[in-house]
Amino acid sequence: MLRALPSNQWNYTTAAHLLNRAGFGGPPAEIQKLVDMGLEKAVDHLLDFESDAKPNADPEWAKPDPERFKRLRDMRDADPEKRKELQRMQQREQRERVQDLRQWWLERMVSGKRPLQEKLTLFWHGHFATSVQKVKDGYLMWKQNDIFRRNAAGNWQVMLEQVSKDPAMLIWLDQAQSRREHPNENFAREVMELFVLGEGNYTERDVTEAARALTGWSIERGTQEFVFRAAAHDRGNKFILGKLGAFTGEDVLKLISSQPQAARFITAKLWRFFAEDNPPKEMVDTLAAVFTAEKQEFKPLLKTMFMCDAFYAPGVIRNQVKSPVQWLVSSVRLLERDLPPPMVTSNALRTLGQELFAPPNVKGWDGGLAWITTNNLLSRYNMSAFLVLGENPMLPPPGKDKKPRPRQRPFRPGGPTDVTKLFKEEERATKPRLVEALERRFIQGHLKDKQRAALIDYLDNQGALNQETILHAIRLVMSTPEFQLT
Amino acid sequence: MEQMFKTRREFLRSGLVGGALAWTIPAFVSETLNSLHAEAANASVVDKTKPILVVLQMAGGNDGLNTLVPYTNDYYMKARPSLAIDPKNVLKLTGEFGLHPSMTAFKDLYDAGMLGIVQGVGYPNPNRSHFHSTDIWQTASPEAPKTQGWIGRYFDNACAGADPTVGISIGRQMPLAFASGHPLGISLENPESYRFASGDDGDREMGSEAFYRKLNSPQMIEGDGTELNSGGSIGAVAGSPLQSHRGSSLDFLERVALDAQVSSDKILAVTKKVKDNASYPQSQIANSLKLVARLIAGGLPTRVFYVSQGGYDTHANQFPAQQRLLGEMSSAVKAFFEDLKGLGQDQRVMLMTFSEFGRRVAQNANNGTDHGAAAPLFLVGNSAQKGLLGASPSLAPGDLVNGDLKYTTDFRGIYAGVLEQWMKVESAPILGAKFPALKCVAKV
Repeated sequence: MLRALPSNQWNYTTAAHLLNRAGFGGPPAEIQKLVDMGLEKAVDHLLDFESDAKPNADPEWAKPDPERFKRLRDMRDADPEKRKELQRMQQREQRERVQDLRQWWLERMVSGKRPLQEKLTLFWHGHFATSVQKVKDGYLMWKQNDIFRRNAAGNWQVMLEQVSKDPAMLIWLDQAQSRREHPNENFAREVMELFVLGEGNYTERDVTEAARALTGWSIERGTQEFVFRAAAHDRGNKFILGKLGAFTGEDVLKLISSQPQAARFITAKLWRFFAEDNPPKEMVDTLAAVFTAEKQEFKPLLKTMFMCDAFYAPGVIRNQVKSPVQWLVSSVRLLERDLPPPMVTSNALRTLGQELFAPPNVKGWDGGLAWITTNNLLSRYNMSAFLVLGENPMLPPPGKDKKPRPRQRPFRPGGPTDVTKLFKEEERATKPRLVEALERRFIQGHLKDKQRAALIDYLDNQGALNQETILHAIRLVMSTPEFQLT
Repeated sequence: MEQMFKTRREFLRSGLVGGALAWTIPAFVSETLNSLHAEAANASVVDKTKPILVVLQMAGGNDGLNTLVPYTNDYYMKARPSLAIDPKNVLKLTGEFGLHPSMTAFKDLYDAGMLGIVQGVGYPNPNRSHFHSTDIWQTASPEAPKTQGWIGRYFDNACAGADPTVGISIGRQMPLAFASGHPLGISLENPESYRFASGDDGDREMGSEAFYRKLNSPQMIEGDGTELNSGGSIGAVAGSPLQSHRGSSLDFLERVALDAQVSSDKILAVTKKVKDNASYPQSQIANSLKLVARLIAGGLPTRVFYVSQGGYDTHANQFPAQQRLLGEMSSAVKAFFEDLKGLGQDQRVMLMTFSEFGRRVAQNANNGTDHGAAAPLFLVGNSAQKGLLGASPSLAPGDLVNGDLKYTTDFRGIYAGVLEQWMKVESAPILGAKFPALKCVAKV
């Protein structure tokens, strides 16, 4: 059914595509390394991330707080004024942790040795979309992120059960508060609709009955760990997806994830994320069959996906809109510069519509063409100036007016990009060579003839090919519709 | 995707130089294309005295029973042991119904004859998924999923060839309601930063801004060919596997890039003209409406604005959350109409709210409510039909459907009313069928 990509089609274009989709792209030298490995070795290199170098350390606060019980007690016993102050302090600490966590994750995407693991973690974050807006605890958000990372290419049933019992999820979808007298349907519904089966593959009755079966799943307040409260659990018979029994929460997860539709649902979503917006039906059928035959293990499924020629079809390559995270991380990698400071990155991602740990709702980000609106496109163009020039383009350039430039501390991305790192001397020697090198690095293909002509025209107008001119040329290439695709 | 390029071409054709000449626009024209484009649009399609619709989305599923409260109803009291609003706090409108205590601003609007409340709004076979039900409201299609929004179809039917600013969504996202075969409309978050910032000291001719325009200009996108061709393949290097199949995503991006360029020039002009100094309460929805008023005063040819407010998904501890949201929403709307009045624009504007569903009649164990069905909808404006509209749904347990209220007014009847009586267009081509129109406008 699925044909592997013929080896004679493994080249700069296809290798760049693999690195873009199974990671966050990279400069020409990294792409060339994959070309030299050959297709299968390149796929294995990305996929066998467990065997690769040790990843960056976890944030130092990412561990259970032994003082938590005492802190909760102090808070309870404090007089109202003191309590308010303690709450404010706690909120500030949580905000700082989430900021820290965002940067920590972006850092792993930019410079970690396991790009596919991070790309998959991003996929799972979008799939089990949980927001800190409601969870309000940086440690719990990290813990969930860690589940995604550890099971990134693991087993579906394992992932599903761990995520369902994850404290952040139990808070996010109100499961922690659900009791047998009045089951809360929020998690029961979303696990069927959004996580495992998709709309139309279950009934309202299934939701109500599953909610009963899931009662009793809760969180221990002090340890912040999952706990089963037998007294809150409904032990009665439930009728779910055509089966009758005194089902537990674990039974519900097994019942729904072993439906044939479950394999189709998650494989289609993975193909959409990695390959194309509208997966053909035959493709989904084939992938679902592979997934089922592999006992719902993701690693062999992913290998099949990244090896097959359909993944490298001309309509697939550079036809995906970069998500804001992809846009930011791959831009930093292509510019071979440091990730800007946390204030800049989190502001950028919020503005572009993909704030990590704060998806808009439980459905996650719509993605695809929905990333692009007139507002977001102009924001991308202007933020590329931050990254390339190291300046806020909204401010007048120095010397234009007499007033001293306002301090732009929160937006200082750490100086301009170093063009001598990006282009060899001979690439910076003539305009046609420079435009060619710009295309190879930033578009990994070709601009339209007229766009090339416009770039040359721009360079002609500027005179010498100095650092300043080349920086603006890079920024212009990043301010095209073509650069928004990957 | 081919479709929208054809339309843009048709527009350029009619708006610019007429006929096939549009395909051979000389280079110098591209520099002034934007202003020509805008002029053409203004002259032919949009009249700045025409009525404006503001759609306000209350996202998450607002609990209708605690919004328009049936404060004398025993079933209501019984179903909500800890969540029913105390009758003595309800802002009474009639002997049976009153508003949530935080909605004093809407009580004022009601007393001033500017508020209509349609009761029991929903649709057949209600869907309890946020996303599916939101799509249903946005596409006006409960039966089969559609990819086009009802406002998008309005643009298609009544505003073809218009400027992209005919529809403005405040925020970063484009609502599905705006989607159409020939999309129009822009999203706008902050007018001051809605432009390409050059970051150099070059002038318009020589600086990077001029070349941004070239790299993103329609002339560039359309190539210099004379035949209709998909945007993405024009100018492609022959034989490149990258280029020859790059279809829809690039077409779409090029289209948005063009709309961004055209609209940013206009928005910039408006921000220079109208200052940002009206007084509103502090909230996200108030900021959005404040911006809408500014854009209206600036004379944009916009016919539909879209704003939204989230957070209504109150499964647990509903009271404080809903109290804040309804308070913010109603006070923002009141401030908006006062602002419009000061600007002399209040007669042109009607605002309509919607939420994807109401909530269950019975509360849950967490002092919250789960996803339900029918709920009230607000119409605000000097011309809005005032008072309680439509029939109130019964709360008697025997009349509920799976614990939910049964709708009494189909929301498509309200869309029909707004389209016909306010926007003055035929509703059937837009909604796909003729729905009995609710009387939404006082004097038609």
